[in-house]
Amino acid sequence: MLRVKSPQNLGAGFAFGALGLAGLVLGRDLPFGSAARMGTGFFPLILSGLILAIGIWLALSSLVVSGERIERMQWRPVTFVSLAILAFGFVMTFAGLAVSAAALTLIAALARRETRWGETSILAIVLGLFSVALFIYGLGQAMPAWWGD
Amino acid sequence: MMDALSNLSMGFAVAATWQNIGFALIGCMLGTLIGVLPGIGPIPTIAMLLPLTFGLDPLSSLIMLAGIYYGAQYGGSTSSILVNMPGEASSVVTCMDGHQMARQGRAGAALAVAALGSFFAGCVGTLFIAAFGPALADVSQRFNSPEYFSLMALGLLMAVVLAQGSVIKAIGMVLVGLLFGLVGTDANTGTARYTLGISELWDGIDFLPMVIGVFGIVEIIRNLEQPELHRTSVSTRFKDLWPSRKDFAQSWKPALRGTGLGAILGILPGGGAVLASFASYTLEKKIARDPSRFGKGAIEGVAGPESANNAAAQTSFIPLLTLGLPSNPIMALMMGAMIIQGIQPGSAVMTTRPDLFWGMVASMWIGNMMLVIINLPMIGLWVKLLTVPYRLLYPAILLFCVIGIYGVNSNWVLMAMTVVFALFGYIMSRFGCEAAPMILGFLLGPMMEENLRRSLVLSRGDPMVFVTRPISAFLLFLCVLLVLVIILPTVRKSREEAFQGGD
Repeated sequence: MLRVKSPQNLGAGFAFGALGLAGLVLGRDLPFGSAARMGTGFFPLILSGLILAIGIWLALSSLVVSGERIERMQWRPVTFVSLAILAFGFVMTFAGLAVSAAALTLIAALARRETRWGETSILAIVLGLFSVALFIYGLGQAMPAWWGD
Repeated sequence: MMDALSNLSMGFAVAATWQNIGFALIGCMLGTLIGVLPGIGPIPTIAMLLPLTFGLDPLSSLIMLAGIYYGAQYGGSTSSILVNMPGEASSVVTCMDGHQMARQGRAGAALAVAALGSFFAGCVGTLFIAAFGPALADVSQRFNSPEYFSLMALGLLMAVVLAQGSVIKAIGMVLVGLLFGLVGTDANTGTARYTLGISELWDGIDFLPMVIGVFGIVEIIRNLEQPELHRTSVSTRFKDLWPSRKDFAQSWKPALRGTGLGAILGILPGGGAVLASFASYTLEKKIARDPSRFGKGAIEGVAGPESANNAAAQTSFIPLLTLGLPSNPIMALMMGAMIIQGIQPGSAVMTTRPDLFWGMVASMWIGNMMLVIINLPMIGLWVKLLTVPYRLLYPAILLFCVIGIYGVNSNWVLMAMTVVFALFGYIMSRFGCEAAPMILGFLLGPMMEENLRRSLVLSRGDPMVFVTRPISAFLLFLCVLLVLVIILPTVRKSREEAFQGGD
C-alpha cells in the first residue's frame, strides 16, 4: 500500500513534472541540432528533461521520506487580489487612473473576510486622487488620469 | 590602493551632484517607507519600487536604486526591533536581541547602533569594492565561454546551497528560471520559442510582472492569510536615540567583527545578508563572556549582525559588477534593473563606462549616509506608520505594484502575466519551493545558453572542453565538491541547524 509521506514534495514533484513536460511538448518542434551546432531546442529541451527528472524524483521520494504537509490554500485572498489586478488593467483601458485605482481598492478589500465598506470607500477615493497626484502630476508618468482623458 | 582612491574620487565627482543626491534621498526614504511595513522584506520592497527608477538616466537610476536597497534593509531592521516582525530572514537575527532591547526601553539605542553599525560597515564595504573589484575584473578578462559557463553553474549551485530550504527544490526552481529565461525570440536564429502565440512574449518574459508577481503580490496574499495581529509598537522619539557610553563600549568590537565577516561572506555567490547576519550572531554568542545574555537584549547581538548584513549587502555587488554574476535575489533585481537600463553587468562596465561603475560605488556610500542622516531623525514618523492597520495598507501597496508595471508598459496583458506569476509563486511556495532561485536562473538563462553554444562550437562539440581548460576545470571541481558536501549527511544536518532560527 502506497502512502504519501511528504505531501509538499509530492505537490512539488507534480508541479516540476508538469513544467518539464510542458517544456518538452511545447518545444518538440524546435531543432535539437548537435553539440557542435546547437539548435534552438538544444538547451531548452535538456533543461525540460532535467526539470521533469527532478519532478519524478521528488514525487517518488515523497512516498519514502516523510516531510511537511501542504498548508491549506486560502482562495479568498488569492482570488480577490488577482481580480483586483485584472480589473485595474481592464478599467485603465477606458476610465483613467483615478477610477481604476478606486476599483482596485474596492475589489482588493474583498480579500479580507470582514470588509468595512465605509472605510474602504473613503480609502478608494483617497487612493484614486493620491495616485493621480503622485504618479501623473508628480512623477509625470504617461497615462490617462481621468475618465475621458 | 592609490588607484582605488583616485577612482573613488572620480566616482564621487559624478555621483555627488545635487540631482543625484536628491535621487539617493528619495530612494532611501521610499525604501524605508515600504521596508518598514511589517512583514515586507527588502526583496518585495525593491521589486515594487523598481519601476520608479526606469525613467531616469542610468547612473541616477542606479543611485536611486541603491538608496531604495539600503532604505529597505534599514526599514526591515526598524520593524524587527520595534514590533518583532521580521520582513525577511536576515532580520530574524535582529529581532532576537533588538526587540528585547526595545521592550526594556532601549529601542532608541538598538536603532542607533543598527544604523551606525550599518553605516560603518557600508563605508568599509565600499572601500572593499574599490580595492578588490578591479582585481577580480582583471581575472575575469582571461575568461572565455567555457569558463563563464562553469562559473555560472558554480554560482547558481552555491546560491542554492547557501539559501534556505530544500536543495533539490531550489535546483528545480533554478532550472525552471533558466527555461523561463529562454522564452522569446532566439537571438541567433530569430526562432520564437515558447511564446504560445502571445506577441507580448516575443521579446521574452517581462522582468517586472515576474518579480512583482512572485515577490510583491505573493507577499501581500501571504500577509492576508494571517489574521490581523494587534501590533503593539514600542514608541520611540529622536531624542531617545543616542546610545550610552556603555552601549558604545559594548558594540564597537562586534560591529568591527561583523563588518569583516560580512564583507568576506558577501563576496561568495549565494552569500549576502542572510548568511552574514546568522554567522555574526553565532560568532558573537560564541566568544561572549556570558552567552546567556543573548536573546535577552544583548546589544552585541544587534551591532554584530546589523553590521555584518550591511557589509555583505555591499560586497555582494562585487561578483555582479565584475563577473556579471548575481549572487543573491537582491543582486538579481539590481542586474535586472541594469539590463533594463541597457547595461550588461560584468567586467566590461568597468572599462567602457568607468564613470558608471565608480559612480555607483560612490553612490552606495551616499546611500548609506542618507540612511543615517535622514532616517534617524524621521524615526518618529516610521513608528507611526507601523501602527497603520494592514487592511488600509495592502490596497495601497497593491496599487503601487500595479501602477509600477502599467507605467512602464500600458498593456493589460502584463497585468494578466503578473497574476499568472503571482499564482505560480503562491502555489510553489505551498509546496516549499521559493521563487528567489528562479529569478537568478531567469537572468542567467540566455547567457548560459550562449556560453554553452560558443564553448561547444569552440571544441567542435566535445564536452571535454569544460574540463581540459584549467580555470573551467577548477570551477567545475568546486561544483562537484559542493554536490558531495550536500550529499554528506553530517554537513546536511549542520546546515539545517544553522537555518533553524530562520524559519
